[in-house]
Amino acid sequence: MMEKEEQKNFFQEIINQHKGILFKVARLYCRDEEDRQDLLQEMMIQIWQSLHKYNDQYKISTWLYRISLNVAISYFRKSSKREQRYTPLTEKTAQIALEDKSENENQLLLLEQFISELKEIDKALMILYLEDKSHTEIAGILGMSVSNVGTKIGRIKEKLKSRFSQLT
Amino acid sequence: MNELELKQLWQTTNKKLEENLAMNVKLADDLTRLKVHGIIGSMKPIKLFTIFIGFLWVVIGAGYLGGVFANTYQEANKFFLYSATVQVVLTAIALGIYIFQLSLIYQVENTDPILQTQKKLAQLKVSTLWAARIMFLQIPVWTTFWWNESMLSDWNVLQLGVTASVTVAAIILSIWLFLNIKYENRHKKWFHLIFSGNEWSPLMKSIDLLDQIKDYEPDGNVKI
Repeated sequence: MMEKEEQKNFFQEIINQHKGILFKVARLYCRDEEDRQDLLQEMMIQIWQSLHKYNDQYKISTWLYRISLNVAISYFRKSSKREQRYTPLTEKTAQIALEDKSENENQLLLLEQFISELKEIDKALMILYLEDKSHTEIAGILGMSVSNVGTKIGRIKEKLKSRFSQLT
Repeated sequence: MNELELKQLWQTTNKKLEENLAMNVKLADDLTRLKVHGIIGSMKPIKLFTIFIGFLWVVIGAGYLGGVFANTYQEANKFFLYSATVQVVLTAIALGIYIFQLSLIYQVENTDPILQTQKKLAQLKVSTLWAARIMFLQIPVWTTFWWNESMLSDWNVLQLGVTASVTVAAIILSIWLFLNIKYENRHKKWFHLIFSGNEWSPLMKSIDLLDQIKDYEPDGNVKI
């Protein structure tokens, strides 16, 4: 069991080193800025409250992905307002949104938008895939078989490709 | 767009992060002073208020009915007495199930794999349907609590027939709802009609999530 001071230092260290994980998960599960701040705060609260149970048999990133994705999916389920604010991107709205942006920024915005449109579990899988996690690590974070990871990723990639091709 | 292009594009997010993300250090520091909340502390006020009102209803109802059974049973209107008793008992059971499920939801670990955690949470949320089923069982007693003995001797056949029909219809409806409000009927129109509205939104989303998880499981088996 960690001492209080040790726990505090450990917490600040992992937040500083891995804040990108939390930010990226929050960004894809929550498009609204205000809600995203709430979600980030909820993730940090859950990390802090689970810190004493951290088991170093897991990589810290695996542990953080589990918490942040679980919190994001649960947060989405509890929310009744967020879904109403969210509108899927149509070809027309995409054109308007993408004016005045560089080609690369446009592509990234579209990618984020398309991932946001995926169902919750598919979204988690895609984030981990894009973060270049191995199939074994993805299987460990999500709790599914390695072979199933490959099949699912293949299907989602096809969906994304088809969404991109609809807009080009 | 191929696999490499997708991943390269995603990596540009990391550059954006370095430029834009200044995680609030003070917030992280404040959190380290945060005490671990118990289940009561982590519940939304509206949920606490609902449980409080339900609890108050059961306590006052049980107290009053207990007093009638103990002291004035002979003079009491038996229709009212038994109807109210059934109502209070069913409310107490539904409240007990609701509180028990909330406490189980609170105990689910966020550090476990996503599919296991979300399946547990969604199943527990969907099992709050049990509380709804039990609450629907009390429909018939709302049609009988005002009955009295003189009504049975004074009313004509037509009046009694209409009154009895309403009660029989309520009994049939409540039993049908009790038997049919279940996860397997989640796609039926009447189910969506009953569970529409914001207050049921977390339940319907849990049902949707269970369907997604089912798609991820080799045997596709989701039990509630």
